[in-house]
Amino acid sequence: MTLQIYTSSDTVFANSFESDLQRYLRGLGGLLVFLFVWWLGAVTTQPSYLVPKPLDSARAFVDLFVTSTTIAVPILGTRLLLPTGLAHLAQTLFHYVPGLLLGAGCGVSLGLAMGWNSEFDDWLQPLVRALRPIPPLAWVVFAIVWFGIHHTGAAFIVFVGAFWINFYGAYGGVNGVSSDLTDAASTLGVECDRSMLKLVALPSAAPQLLTGFRTSIGRCWMIVVGAELFGAPGVGYEIINASNNLAMATSVAYMFLISLAFLCMDVGFRVVERRVLAWR
Amino acid sequence: MALSGSRSTDQASSEKISVRNLSRAYESTQALDDVSVSVTEGEFCCVVGPSGCGKTTLLRAIAGLETPDSGSVLVDGNPVTDPGLNRGMVFQEYALFPWRTVRGNIRFGLDRPACNCPDCEARVRELIDLVGLKGFENAYPKELSGGMKQRVGIARALAVDPEILLMDEPFASVDARTRDHLHGELLDIWSQTEQTVVFVTHDIDEAVTLADRVVIMEADSGTVQSTITVDIDRPRHRTAQEFIEYVARIRDELGSLTVPTEYSQ
Repeated sequence: MTLQIYTSSDTVFANSFESDLQRYLRGLGGLLVFLFVWWLGAVTTQPSYLVPKPLDSARAFVDLFVTSTTIAVPILGTRLLLPTGLAHLAQTLFHYVPGLLLGAGCGVSLGLAMGWNSEFDDWLQPLVRALRPIPPLAWVVFAIVWFGIHHTGAAFIVFVGAFWINFYGAYGGVNGVSSDLTDAASTLGVECDRSMLKLVALPSAAPQLLTGFRTSIGRCWMIVVGAELFGAPGVGYEIINASNNLAMATSVAYMFLISLAFLCMDVGFRVVERRVLAWR
Repeated sequence: MALSGSRSTDQASSEKISVRNLSRAYESTQALDDVSVSVTEGEFCCVVGPSGCGKTTLLRAIAGLETPDSGSVLVDGNPVTDPGLNRGMVFQEYALFPWRTVRGNIRFGLDRPACNCPDCEARVRELIDLVGLKGFENAYPKELSGGMKQRVGIARALAVDPEILLMDEPFASVDARTRDHLHGELLDIWSQTEQTVVFVTHDIDEAVTLADRVVIMEADSGTVQSTITVDIDRPRHRTAQEFIEYVARIRDELGSLTVPTEYSQ
């Protein structure tokens, strides 16, 4: 039996290597076509700042790491000298990370509580339905009057965005726990709700929980840039700032930086996800 | 004595499980209607009946997973209100924890505070040997066949050393050959552990292969039709004359009920 597995996986490997190569080549082709169309658009439009040239954008991107900027570190109160691009990325992360983690934590907690306890669910369901459709950025006015335009205000908006996605991940996950599994656990000595949550509901809901969190990583990048357009420091603010000086190539460079940061986080989290969910 | 003969007749027959006038209704259907059954200590009792006759509800009530509308279940004279470690349960669809390995599933009950085994890891090894899963300790349920999954299910239930083993059509999703193997293994385990077994099935052959006594439930009405003691030495052979006679008798009991209702419709 094992022999069979090896031979079949060998052929799968050979096939997948060939198709992978083909896939990469096609992807590269698509990228080159896009760059050409971009370049064509850039050289044919006037004034030139409407569409910055690809090469200028690339140069602006490199510049982000050649020059350096000093930023203030919140809470610690110290100042930090970093390459400009990283400095502004760090500023974004100062409100992105706390907003995401806190929002995910609170969202998961409420989702678990409502998914697990139907009475609690009855109490809060109408409220959830009323608040859920409000786009996180709509909260920007309260972020401003409550926390001011800075890290805290931006973190609050990210918090709202992360909250709902993770809420629904946890809620759906716990709702979908099979009664066979909870029955089996209770015949094996699991008596209280807390143990049942920890030993059965949470691991069983883990796939949905993690998918929810991974989705919120991406969604919060969109939200964080939106929040910074209103004035919180970070890469989003720098996009606006550069365009105000008609340095559109720099705006594009920051857009790349956001894309890169998101990609790194997404890929990193997928690795974690695959490890945690090896049983699937 | 091991496999031969019925153990319940060797022992002083003391009542282990007593189901008294149990009734349970779901919306429009009466799953159990005034059912009384008694199971002796160490007995292998099969409950047969067509699908939807309430046999699973009966088993779940003994497990403490189902609250009856009226009547009671007594184990050793104590009323059952909740699930307990003295009653292990094996499920039709295995109900293994997919995020735990074979070892992790079997250990589940041993990791509870109520457990007092001196060396849990040794106990797990012993159970893995008992159900023949050596070499698969670290496999996840998705990597196992149906028969292997149910072996894990049985080992997991046995881990906490319950006095009663409740089995809900455990081999219904297993292919016929594997089922024959598992029957033999289950009887081996039963003869070693001296547990009381209540085994629900819709397969008459299976009931006659395993049981000391067969409780026959009526279709639709949720009542017990009759009880038949199977007095054949083990191991039993399906082709033996007396085996075939028992199967026919049970089929008659079940058929005598369903045929008239079919005509009346």
